[in-house]
Amino acid sequence: MATDVNPTRASFDRIFLLVPIVLFFVLLTVAVIRAPSLISMSGLGSATIVAAPLILATYALMAVAIAGRGTVDLAVGPLLGFINVIIIKLNGLDLITSPFGVFILALGIGVLYQVLFALIILLVRIQPIIVSLSGFLALSGINLVILPRPSGLAPDWMMSWGLGETIFSPVLLILILATGGWLLFTLTPFYRHLRLMGHDERAAYASGVRINLVRIGAHCFAGIFIGLAAITYTSLISSGDPTQGTTYTLTAVTALVLGGVSLAGGRGGVTGSLLGALSLFLIGYILATFNFGGIQGFVTELSYGVILVLSLLLTVLIPFIARYIKYIPPFATFVVLTTIFASTMLHIKTRDDFQPTYTGTVVVEKQSSTDISPATRDALRYLLLPSMMADREDAWQFNTLQRMVASSIIGLIMITFVFRFIVVEAQSLRLGPLLYGVICTLILLLFWTFSSRSDAGKHPSEQHIVVQKTWLEPPWPHP
Amino acid sequence: MAAPVNIPRSPFLIWLNITITVVVAGIGFIMGFVQGLEVQLVILYTIISSIALLWGLNYLALIFEAHRDQLGETEKEVVHDPAVGPVHLWRGNRVLILAIAGLLILYLVLVATISEFRTISNLITFLILEAILVFAFKVSKAFVYNRSAFTGLTILVAIIVISSFTIEGFVSGVNIKSILVFAAFLGIACVGQTLVALLGGLDLSIPFLIGSSNIGLLYLIELGVPSWLAVIIVIVIGGAIGFLNGILSYKVQGQALVLTLGMGFAVSGSTQILTSIGSVFKGNVFGTVPDWLRNLAAMNGETFGLSFPPIIVIWGAISVVMIVGLRRTAYGRYIYALGGNRKPARLQNISEFRYWTLAYIISGVFSTVTGALLLGWSGGGFIGVGEPYLFMTLAAVVIGGTSLLGGYGGYGFTVIGVLVLQVLTSFLIGIGLEYEWQKFIFGLLIVPMVALYGRLPHIRTQI
Repeated sequence: MATDVNPTRASFDRIFLLVPIVLFFVLLTVAVIRAPSLISMSGLGSATIVAAPLILATYALMAVAIAGRGTVDLAVGPLLGFINVIIIKLNGLDLITSPFGVFILALGIGVLYQVLFALIILLVRIQPIIVSLSGFLALSGINLVILPRPSGLAPDWMMSWGLGETIFSPVLLILILATGGWLLFTLTPFYRHLRLMGHDERAAYASGVRINLVRIGAHCFAGIFIGLAAITYTSLISSGDPTQGTTYTLTAVTALVLGGVSLAGGRGGVTGSLLGALSLFLIGYILATFNFGGIQGFVTELSYGVILVLSLLLTVLIPFIARYIKYIPPFATFVVLTTIFASTMLHIKTRDDFQPTYTGTVVVEKQSSTDISPATRDALRYLLLPSMMADREDAWQFNTLQRMVASSIIGLIMITFVFRFIVVEAQSLRLGPLLYGVICTLILLLFWTFSSRSDAGKHPSEQHIVVQKTWLEPPWPHP
Repeated sequence: MAAPVNIPRSPFLIWLNITITVVVAGIGFIMGFVQGLEVQLVILYTIISSIALLWGLNYLALIFEAHRDQLGETEKEVVHDPAVGPVHLWRGNRVLILAIAGLLILYLVLVATISEFRTISNLITFLILEAILVFAFKVSKAFVYNRSAFTGLTILVAIIVISSFTIEGFVSGVNIKSILVFAAFLGIACVGQTLVALLGGLDLSIPFLIGSSNIGLLYLIELGVPSWLAVIIVIVIGGAIGFLNGILSYKVQGQALVLTLGMGFAVSGSTQILTSIGSVFKGNVFGTVPDWLRNLAAMNGETFGLSFPPIIVIWGAISVVMIVGLRRTAYGRYIYALGGNRKPARLQNISEFRYWTLAYIISGVFSTVTGALLLGWSGGGFIGVGEPYLFMTLAAVVIGGTSLLGGYGGYGFTVIGVLVLQVLTSFLIGIGLEYEWQKFIFGLLIVPMVALYGRLPHIRTQI
């Protein structure tokens, strides 16, 4: 990408990523504390599969939202359901069953619909929101005509995708390809034209950008994303469902706003959308770990609404905040928060490993297990564990002074490093190599932890299945 | 137009008219025999229909010519010869001719393939549809300002005519009453949406507020609150939520859509939590609706002894107040001023914040009123009762012709939109189509209807 003339302007745009980043990590930490089994092969695997359709639908919305004119494709959910229903129907008739055929079919319908959408906007010249409203009604109607009730089976080769036993499922591959594809696309001049058009269509037209072509291109991207979303959705439910897809519209719009994408056009990216969709997934996940009984769905609905409103209001406040703290780079924040999160997670994951070595506190534990409340006991286990190292023979023995000096030196080094890092990265337009390195190390560390733990895959299932099911139920009623 | 003899000057047009008339009359003639009517009747119908058709086509051809004459006069320097002929006709009316030809082909294909389709009523339906097309394209050009209302009315009349031909008992009292009752619900729910749309915003919290007020009201009544007080409480809460919508979305007007959606989730979730506390039925409220509320909206309700529910009268009164208010009072004019262009409006000392918030408050109030009335209609609380209104309010506003960009439209337009939607629903139910087909057809209808009047200018002209 060409160097931006005005770096502060660029970081101004990036500032909008702060909200999704912070929100995402707060939610992730809470989720891991509430349900530690999220961090396991099967936990992450099923989370990926459940979140994938939402993420891809949000990408689709993002691609057209960047194109401007207030394009919010309300039809994204029904279209997803439409493709799902068509795949199931054709599979049931033994017409199209091969992976190749299904992919062509899904992407083809998505792109066709979106190109039609773009052509109506361009040639008939009516507001995009009206076109998408029309698409919403038409598609959600025809879905029920094609498949009156949830039924049917997904193609055989797709059945194993939805099990979620491992992270490395084809769904993850689709997600990575989609994200990577968009990131590669941002390097092209076409993307710059797209953003220019989103910011100011008249300026783009006046400076010779072929806006019709650019708009159709953006819609093609959205169509591809919706096709992929429909495929992952089909693999998630392994069947056909005419109404459930419709709920994805409202969820994906929420995720889009959480991710800091401007509905007015011109601002937005794949990072924000990804974080927004994941945050939304995590909200559902966390709420599912609490047992609200019959009012579960209502609580989820309430919290979606409140978080949506709050994040929108934060988006309003950000320009004011950014005036005073322009040196908080979102990507550096990302790395710092990743570190904090990774350490929390490691702590939680490994705390059981040392259980048998309790000597001094075992009595307390035994007493406590009978007469103090579970919450307090949890707090004791999470936060008040004595250092395990101290009991070992071969561990270094520190006295208090040594410990203080050592920890303050390490702390100073860390703080210096973080601040240097933040200052260096403050004006950067995209992730630097250092950041990539740090993130890769963290991810490797994670996998190392899993593989070194023999019981990583042992207690997966029940909680996940429950969580997955509850999340799938729409928090709002649908016809 | 002022010519003493109303015959078009162009021989091409005369021949075209005669050909079309002969072809259509021939089709009707043959169809009559196929259906096995009496010979005299067939001949009589053929003569009457061909005379009417010839007169109608003649009239339209005159309008064509008058329109072209005007063009020729204004562009005399550019257009050297206002040529009369098929090429000219094609150029001026490309879209119209294509649409008519498409419809004709569709009809012929249907007639050729499906034998049950060959009935007189279908032929009439087809002719009316063609006439609407011509009407919508040609005649509505004469109406510069209220084109959408005119188009909407034409379509409304056409649907009523077609349905009364095809459906038994469509114009019966019971059916008209039910259409009006449902139209009243939708119309009252649309009051706020229209106002908000006039200012360039959107309110998606309406369906959630309807559902919440529906169960909230019944919950309050079950708690022992007097029913009139309960209604007032619910309406005040609705206004308060509208106020919150307004002040929160004021700074993010472009994203009002999402903000109101979020508010809707929050309101609907919290109402359901509140009503489920101490209740066995999670989310559902059971109870008895007071008689006066039931009488207000139920199908067998009575207004001063007359056998139609008062809600129709209430909707009529609201419509009159809204239409007159928007047209005649300063408040109404200020809303148009703000919707058209904020800056000059602000320079005239019109408070944008005040009117924006006011529109949302009204929207909240009328949403809760609709919810309360729906409780009277159904007799039981159900949160999902507002669900169809999420997109139906938008569709009614858009079909009526109020621009979602603000500044153009009005409640009168919305009334037409509501009636079109409800009559069409009734028609579709009458010919045996399910809810999903109705949704599908509404969806397909919106784009062409808006395209008739709501097109944006080309980007070229905006620079």
